[in-house]
Parts: sequence; C-alpha cells; structure tokens
Amino acid sequence: MICSPKNIKKLSKPGKLKLFLLSLTLALTAPALQASELNIWVMATTEQQQSDMKELLRPYLAKNPSLRVNVTVLQWESAWTKITAAAASGQGPDLLELGTTWVAAISSMGALEQISDAQQASVGGAKAFFPAVWSSTHRYDEQKIYAIPWYAEARAAFYRTDVFKAAGINPRDAFANWGSFKQAMQKINGQVINGKKIAALGYPGKNDMSVVHNLAPWIWNAGGDLLSADKKKSTINSPEALQAINYYTSFAVEGLVPMASLEKDSAQIDTGFFNGQYAVIFTGPWILKPLSTPKSKGGQLESVTANNFSVAPYPAGLKGQQTFFAGSDLAIMKSSKNKEESWKLLSYLVSREAQVNYTKMSWMLPTRIDAAYDPSLMANLHYAEFVGQIKNGRHYPSISAWGPLESVYLKNIGSMFDIVAGVKGKYSNLAIKQALDATAKEANEVLAELQ
Amino acid sequence: MRKKPFHAFPYLLLLPAILMMLAVNLTPILQGLYMSLLKLNQYTLNQFLDAPFIGLDNYRRILFEGHSPIRAGLGFALRNTLLYTLVVSIAAIVIGLAVAVLLNRDFPAKGVARTLLLLPWIVPSYVVGSLWGFMWQRDVGIVNVVLVDYLHLLDEKPFWLLGANSFWAIVIPTVWRAWPVMMLLFLAALQAVPEDQYEAATLDGVSKWGQFWHITLPILKPVIVIQFMFQFIDNVYSYNIVSMMFGGGYPGEWADLLMPLLTRQSFSYWMFGQGAAVSFIMMTLMLIFVAVWMRSFKRSLANDE
Repeated sequence: MICSPKNIKKLSKPGKLKLFLLSLTLALTAPALQASELNIWVMATTEQQQSDMKELLRPYLAKNPSLRVNVTVLQWESAWTKITAAAASGQGPDLLELGTTWVAAISSMGALEQISDAQQASVGGAKAFFPAVWSSTHRYDEQKIYAIPWYAEARAAFYRTDVFKAAGINPRDAFANWGSFKQAMQKINGQVINGKKIAALGYPGKNDMSVVHNLAPWIWNAGGDLLSADKKKSTINSPEALQAINYYTSFAVEGLVPMASLEKDSAQIDTGFFNGQYAVIFTGPWILKPLSTPKSKGGQLESVTANNFSVAPYPAGLKGQQTFFAGSDLAIMKSSKNKEESWKLLSYLVSREAQVNYTKMSWMLPTRIDAAYDPSLMANLHYAEFVGQIKNGRHYPSISAWGPLESVYLKNIGSMFDIVAGVKGKYSNLAIKQALDATAKEANEVLAELQ
Repeated sequence: MRKKPFHAFPYLLLLPAILMMLAVNLTPILQGLYMSLLKLNQYTLNQFLDAPFIGLDNYRRILFEGHSPIRAGLGFALRNTLLYTLVVSIAAIVIGLAVAVLLNRDFPAKGVARTLLLLPWIVPSYVVGSLWGFMWQRDVGIVNVVLVDYLHLLDEKPFWLLGANSFWAIVIPTVWRAWPVMMLLFLAALQAVPEDQYEAATLDGVSKWGQFWHITLPILKPVIVIQFMFQFIDNVYSYNIVSMMFGGGYPGEWADLLMPLLTRQSFSYWMFGQGAAVSFIMMTLMLIFVAVWMRSFKRSLANDE
C-alpha cells in the first residue's frame, strides 16, 4: 500500500506536503463529485416493483452515472396515509407517484411543485396524453398543472369467445346495449364447457377497493353522475344513478352473477375468470399479463380462458358508452432539494420509451397516446383490441375532496351489497333507493365539511 | 420510626432522563389534544398550527350532533367493539386455561405439543386476517366445505363475510390467534402451584374439578385478572384483522370496530381534527377503565395476601 503509515513516514518533507495538498483537494472537491441522490416513491403496481423499477431506470442511470435513485415501493392500500403524512410534514421524497384522483387534494395541501408551461411543453404538453388522464393533473377549476400522467388503467369487458360461440351469440350484438347484454347473459348462464358449468357474469360486491370504479361506467352510461355539475353535491341517489345501480345489481339478484362472488375482491374475480368460472368480467388491462405468461412463470397462458377470450366495450346505456379511466401521475414535492434532477427523471419516466417499457412490465396502459399505439405493444393482439375499446374513457372530476367522497361511496355502496346478497332485509328497488339516499346524505355532509 | 435522609443527587441524575421521557410521551399526546381543537382538513393539515381554532366544537359534534359524518356508524362500532372484546378476551382466557391445565401433566411429546399449539400465535395478525378471509369464502372456503360438504351440519353454505355472520368471522380468528399465548402464560403460572397442595387435597378426597376450583383457580387469579386487562385493551384497539379480511373497505354494521372506523373517518374522510377528538375520547375511556380495573383488583393482584 502506497499510503500505509509506514510508507508515509518514509516520504520526504515535500512529498508529505504534496500528499497533504492532494488529500485537501480531494476533501474539498468531494461534495462536488458526489453523486446526486433522488428519492422516489412509487406504488406496487407490478409483482416485483422494486426490480422492475431498477430495470426501467437502467437506461437513464447509464446516461447519468453520477445519479443515485432510491426507490421506495408503497402498497396501494397504505400509500394514501403515507403520502398525506409526507405532504403534511414536508418530509417526503423528491419525486412521487400519485393516484390520478389524489393530485387535486395533495396540491391543495400546497405540497407539490407547480409544473411550468415550458416543462409541460418539453414532454409534449396536454395534446400528447389521453385527455381523460390529463384532466387529473390539475384541479378542475384551475389551470395550474402539478403532475404529469405516468400510466393509466381503463376497464372493458373480457369475455370467453368459446362460450359465446356455444350459446350462438354474436358478441357484437351482445355488447351493443343494456337490453341485448342482459338477454345475452340470460342465454349464456349455465352453459357447460368441458363439463364445467359457467356463470354468465362475475363481479365483486362488497369487500373490494374498486366498488366505486365498478359502478361508475354504468352510472355515466345511464346519464347519471357521482357529483353535481357545480361539484358541491352528491348525485349518487339521482334517478339515473338509481336506474344504473338497479340494472347492475339485478344480474346478481337474477342469478346471472353467482351470489358468492359478492364477497370477493377484483383479484379473486379475475382469478375466477382464468379458472373458467365466468363467461364475462369487467376488468383492466393488467389481466393481459397473466393471460400471456406461461404457467411455469406463474401465468395462465395454457388455460382454456387464455386461448378463448376477447375484449368488448361496456354495453351502451341510454346516454352513452363510456368507460372508467384512471391511473397514476408523477409529481415533484415542494420540499425537494433536487427539483431540477427530479424533473429530468420525471421527464424520462413519462417519455415514450419508458412508458412502452413499463407497459411491457405491468400491462398498465401508457398515458402518452404515441406510446399507447407503439407497434411493439400493438403486436399483442389482445392489447390492440383493448386499446381499441377504451376510446371513451372518463375520469372522475378532479376536485380536492374526491378522496373523502370516494371513501363515503366505498363504505356505503359496499354495504348496499348486503341487501343485494339478501343478508340485510329483502332486495327491492326501494331498499336500494334508501341505501343510496343515506349515502348521498353522508357524502353531502363530508363535502360541506371539506369545501 | 427514624426518618430516612433525603438525597437529592440521585434524582438530579435521573432528571434528564425523566424530562426526556416526558417530552417523548407527552408531546404527541399534547399535539393530539391540540389537533382535536382545530378544524383540520386537506387544506389546513399541512400547517396545522395555523388551522382555525374551533375549541370544543369537534367534541360537541361527535358527542351531540346526530348527523355528523364521524357519527355515522359510531353506535355500531361501539357495540361491536364491546361485544368483540368481551367474547374474544373471555374465550381466549377460558380456552388457554383449559389447554394449559391439560398440558400441565406428563405425557409423551409434551414439548412438541406445546410448540405446535403455539403456532397460531406466531402468525402476524394481518396475515391471520387475509388467511381467514379465504377460509370464510362462501363457495370455496374451507370452513363451509367442512361444515356443509363433509359434516353436513348445514343445508346451505352461509355467507361469512357478508351480513351478521361477519361478526363471527372476526371473532373466531382473533380467538384462534390469542388463546395459545394465554396457554403459555397459564402454563408458566401453573409451575408455581405447589404440588403438595394437590397431594393433600387428593388424600382428603377432593375431586379433580374441586382441586381446579379451590387450588388452581385462586392461585392463577392474579394472572387471569392481569391477562384479562391486557386482552381487553388489545382487542379494543384491534385493527388488522378487520382491515385485512374486508379488503380495507367497510365490513358492514356487524363487524366494524372502533379502530377501523376511526382510521376511516379520520384518514379517508380527511376530518383529522374530529379523528383526533375521537382518539382522545377513546384514550380517556381506556384510562378510566384501567384505573377502575386496578382499583377493583388491587387485592387480587397482590396475590390475595
């Protein structure tokens, strides 16, 4: 060792001086040479989010060798609490993933850095992204942008082509409107495929975090909404919403949805579809991943379902044929000390290249239109079908009190499924109406409290 | 009696530690109390010191205003928590005690049996919640398969995660997880029971049941009393099982407990001030409960001397 104590003793005086100056220079320049470090919080969207993020960031880090990125993966269930705590205390990461319905609230807390026009333009601006998800980057009543959409989800019908064929039903007719859809489900219910009786439709009821997302497209397509036009009152008990919820729940009451599915969550319903329990489910693009992954790698590629499914839009109601659109945005925290570096990383993550790569990992949708139609993604036939079906995506209104409102709906509408399952009084339109009136009352109290 | 001289120096040495302990323990309580006097929501949480001061209004709304959102479901949650706590605490103690008495004798593979019986206890409570969530499933859950398909005890598979049965869906896993540790504690306590008392009672012709009733139980009384208190406090603050079993949603009016309600109303409805007020009311009630408990069982805790 050149610098062992023994060797230093052997050095001449000028030599010692040189060594001293060298170490002094190193000490003084070290902070400048030190790698800049960014902390980023993301939600667990893929099964191995940590390693997937590492993979996603690899090309960027290769170009920026002095940068270190610490990725913290949050679970969706607990992320909201951690993010609000970070926003309240100012002790958070530099870069932050936010559910699209959260941006208005967290920006109202003053925790997010505003994204300038020039910055927006540098990533393509509003026109580069799906309009429904771009609406989540700012409050509905102001122009200031606080986040950039990163990935999206939308819902569509996934159906078993073999079951439709066996029942002699043309899927195009079946998904045309509410009337034809109900008729098709009645015909399909109880079809026997490979000795297994199949239920027409599967949907989760009560114990699911997506209770509101599951109902929203039906309510919109009936001409109803979850919130009044002035965004001040709940409209969950409007005649249109009531009509939609009655129509939706009638499938369970009439035995077209197995009652047992009402206590399951979305993931369990997806699994039921893979196992051949249901002919139709309404779900998101993430199921394309297991359906294109071999069983040896934990997927469902060899299943009957994987070889016999297709995608259709929601059946049209009297007032439309929309679907639910949501996802995640990326934002920079005001408390970040590395805003410039954070923005550069954010720009990379929302770039076409990164979005295409991330879609291949998660099968969530890109938010950039050019990435969504990337040929390498469109090569997956089912993905192409899915993207073709979700043009009419709609996002919840971007108000700062959306979180609490959704929580009220989640609690009360979830509870309504006790009536549908027949374990809390007798199911009737009146019982549902009373449950929705109580929901609207509680929602209005909460909205009044948070305006 | 000669008065002991007072030495200030040791207390002086302890002072920094005492001050630190007070700061660590009191600061969050005082902050929580202060927050319960504010109107705290998504706009004001960030700088809560500047949030509007509304005095006791949060408490007034919780206690006296029937249509306040935080009150929605509070009655159900109170009722459920009380019933759940009593049923779970008593069942865990009774089963734990019974198994401890059975295991407190010599038989082959005693150690293995004790270890195996402890297994439920080492499963984290949130895992218990999601595990039993699967077991309670109506169509494929093992509980219904055993009850209906194998034992034919019921004609039709009941719902466990919907409707009134959901109360039992949270009670049974909690008892399942809690009794082994009770067993362990009672086993340890049973080691302290002098063998000669049983020998004397046997010579006097006292039955096994009589021996349990007149020897074992009185000796174990302090342990039972203190364990009941721990169980009570633990179960009032129960959160994981409900939140995991019901997917973080709302379990309904039969299985909602105070802590999930508090978390939901505070963090999901963003009424942080009212949430702080409810926490404070709960903490005060628990302090009163512990004080009354300690007073009532002071003598029992002193081993009936």
